[in-house]
Amino acid sequence: MNEMQYCNEVLVRLEELLFHELSGCAAWKTELVGVDFIQSKNIKGDTPDEIIQNCIREIKDAGFVADMTYEIGGKGIKLELKMKGCAHLPKENRLREDGVKPYICPITNMILDQLIEKLNYTTTYMGEMKIDETTGECRTRSAIFETPEMIGTVSNWDEE
Amino acid sequence: MGDILDVIKSRKSIRRYKPDPVPDELIDKILEAARWAATGENYQPWRFIVIRDPETKNKIGDLARLGSGSRMTTWYCLGEMQERFTKIEDPVKRDEVLRFMYSGEVSEFAKQAPLVIAVIGTLMEGSVDVPYDLSATAENILLEAHSLGLGACWVHGPVASTRDAKKFKNILNIPTGMGEYKVIAYIAIGWPKEDRKHPRPKLPLEDLVYWEEFGRKERPKYE
Repeated sequence: MNEMQYCNEVLVRLEELLFHELSGCAAWKTELVGVDFIQSKNIKGDTPDEIIQNCIREIKDAGFVADMTYEIGGKGIKLELKMKGCAHLPKENRLREDGVKPYICPITNMILDQLIEKLNYTTTYMGEMKIDETTGECRTRSAIFETPEMIGTVSNWDEE
Repeated sequence: MGDILDVIKSRKSIRRYKPDPVPDELIDKILEAARWAATGENYQPWRFIVIRDPETKNKIGDLARLGSGSRMTTWYCLGEMQERFTKIEDPVKRDEVLRFMYSGEVSEFAKQAPLVIAVIGTLMEGSVDVPYDLSATAENILLEAHSLGLGACWVHGPVASTRDAKKFKNILNIPTGMGEYKVIAYIAIGWPKEDRKHPRPKLPLEDLVYWEEFGRKERPKYE
């Protein structure tokens, strides 16, 4: 057993337990899971693009994902991340086998954390996490709010 | 001993209040009801912060708006909010309700409430089942406020995420360590400015109750 497998097995048990205790609300409370890694990397940047690109570089260099792309849309509040070959994919698959919809994406948490920490974004929220186990691809869609006034900025993210 | 079923059944969440203050003797009664809630091993982990200062209430209301608003904006953009409100047939009314939700205004009424009580619990060594005890005390607060003619609403929005819970603690100078205090909600209280009657419909008992084992709906004879 390698360290990543062990890490994923530990995460599965904790993610299951937390969902069992808090149901859907568990997802709201796990935003800091994974952020210690990225906080140790001294990410720099003055714009969302710079921050996100530098985070992706560190995440890929560490071998956590094989490939990763991003897109900002939805009037500036939608952040879509696509990942291939994520090291946490076995966690997501095991959770689904156990009947729990995965809700913690440490990789997404890292990037949202740095938007808050480095660019002083007001808040963020990951609203969707989709995993294709056949292709090994994941997609998350999050809202990123640069200012309090951006709360309530709505659009149809499926039509973009 | 009186049956409190009427009090329980007639209570509903009140989010709009008259500006009149809540007298101290009623605040004391509410707090007295709170401290008599059920608690495992009589641990009584609850602590209450009574807030009447407008500036503090504004900060809590703003935080609640951001918390609920950020989630509901996301859900709306993903199409999930719209599905929850299909029962409202009038499209204008539906849009109005949805905007009220995703703007976060739905949770910011601490600003208007004359009284806000933050319900927190100590996580010190020996504590067990703190969130459940805090839920029990919050229910006592709601019921006592209602029985006194007041209206109240339990709001989880500003403490639902870990970052927001820390901000909430900072507003009230609560120690922020994850092993110190848990904040479960704030409860806004005041004289109702909306109809206290006609609570929303509840699921019938036959949909909720099983007899002797999970799934068994018929009530067996038991002598």
